Amino acid sequence: MAVEHPASPTIADKIYDKLFHNYVWKSIFRTGYPNTPRNQMLVVATNVFLHLHPTRIHRTHVKVTHTYCLGGLSFFMFLGLTVTGILLMFYYVPSVDRAYLDIQNIQTNVQFGQLMRNLHRWMAHAMVILVFLHMMRVFYTGAYKPPREFNWVVGVVLLVLTFLLSFTGYLLPWDQLAFWAITVGTNIAGSAPVLGPKSRFWLLGGLQVGPDALIRFYTLHVIGLPLLAAIFMAVHFWRIRRDGGLARPL
Amino acid sequence: MATAVVARPVARPQARARDEEVLVWPDLVFIEFIAALVFTITLFALASVMNAPLLDQANADVTPNPSKAPWYLLNLQELLLHMNAAMAGVIIPTIWLVIMGAFPYFDRDNDGQGAYFATENSVKITVVAGVIGIVGTWALILWDSGKIAFFLNDWFGLSGGDRLRFLENVRSFQSQVQWPDWASDIPYLPFNLKILASDAPGGPTEFQHIDFPGFIVEIAIPMLAMVALPTIMIYAMWRLGWVQTRRDALLALFSGFIGAYGVLTLAGTAFRGQGQELVFPWELKVSEGIPGQEAH
Repeated sequence: MAVEHPASPTIADKIYDKLFHNYVWKSIFRTGYPNTPRNQMLVVATNVFLHLHPTRIHRTHVKVTHTYCLGGLSFFMFLGLTVTGILLMFYYVPSVDRAYLDIQNIQTNVQFGQLMRNLHRWMAHAMVILVFLHMMRVFYTGAYKPPREFNWVVGVVLLVLTFLLSFTGYLLPWDQLAFWAITVGTNIAGSAPVLGPKSRFWLLGGLQVGPDALIRFYTLHVIGLPLLAAIFMAVHFWRIRRDGGLARPL
Repeated sequence: MATAVVARPVARPQARARDEEVLVWPDLVFIEFIAALVFTITLFALASVMNAPLLDQANADVTPNPSKAPWYLLNLQELLLHMNAAMAGVIIPTIWLVIMGAFPYFDRDNDGQGAYFATENSVKITVVAGVIGIVGTWALILWDSGKIAFFLNDWFGLSGGDRLRFLENVRSFQSQVQWPDWASDIPYLPFNLKILASDAPGGPTEFQHIDFPGFIVEIAIPMLAMVALPTIMIYAMWRLGWVQTRRDALLALFSGFIGAYGVLTLAGTAFRGQGQELVFPWELKVSEGIPGQEAH
């Protein structure tokens, strides 16, 4: 039986070898470049970010028209909002004296400040829309059915958290739009029977939108609610994996 | 112990069909990358041509007219115009969120799972319920704004005169019907408070009062509309043979909700002008308000 000898390596092979099989590369990525099925599975399984995915997936689920990537894009908006939000936090102080001036300062004196603020705002709107569309997608594909019942409930909680994240951020520019929108919004909350006035007082830290409301909304917006959302997202994503990925017809 | 655990039917992940699977890298990761890229570029483009709004500095003494909540809450603000504030702003949304969260516990079989409109009649139910939600909500908004009476009167010359004035909108049940005086002032005792003699310490007893006509227009009629109309719709679809399973009923309910929710958001955002009057979007103006004077 003839033995096949491998062809002698070309320049490209040598460069590839130098780039992806060296000591430093392997210390970071463990696997080689993902150009073989084995490496492609390993890269997904060993990378902390990629391992949100399974290594293999049913072929109907890579059809864009099945999910329209709505859930993933909602998460992507969350990440983008975190990045732009942190950048805005460098310049923004949540006090009644400074908040509005800081926003003006971000828009006029900070390099790319206006762009960051715009991105943060439009991404926030996009996230609300995407999360809602994601809910519609899950409903119309019947993906809440067993064994995914509880993940649907987690999703409803995340929808509410998205609204709250957006709502708490709305006050921060401290302009007329922000002030009166939050006044109207918290008045709605305050109309609840029994708990209403008290919960409105807790939310605002007073009887009307003022300095205490600003610091409360800020704290909830930049740490309280994102943390809570991150926990629920972790549960949401974990359960997708545990329940066997996306739902498919039986 | 062990048998007790095994005996219970437990929902399990579906069996895997290996030959139907593709690798996540590259097939899925590539799509995610493209989706993220498209959104990044689109949002950067949008952010470079459209600035986030920034009005004058907040001033508690100057009320803009109309004052509006963020757009995703304008559906509630729209509801608020038609009924009791606690009901529109808190009770209805809370109940709806609980109902929605309970969907999977109501509809438990696996029919129609994992594909769009996989069950019989699902497209028909979705479209018809959605249209009913849209048209029905618009009709209710127009009626309660008195616009239907206005159109009938102004465009077709049809007037019900004073006898039918109580049908003009929901509120006119209260204002245009001759209610006896006692009806708007029915005394009752809250919870388990006892009647105290006038000379008792802490006495005399303070009665609470129910405004019965007010209760009718602010709570009873809206509640009836929100419970009865979807029920009638689903019942009718059931009698027509369209709704056969719990999934079908949920499809009708959810699609009707999407239609109504969309209309409420749109009406609250684009069709509510000064004093929350119903206007066309191109007539919508915001006045900055007069210092020291509340707009509403």
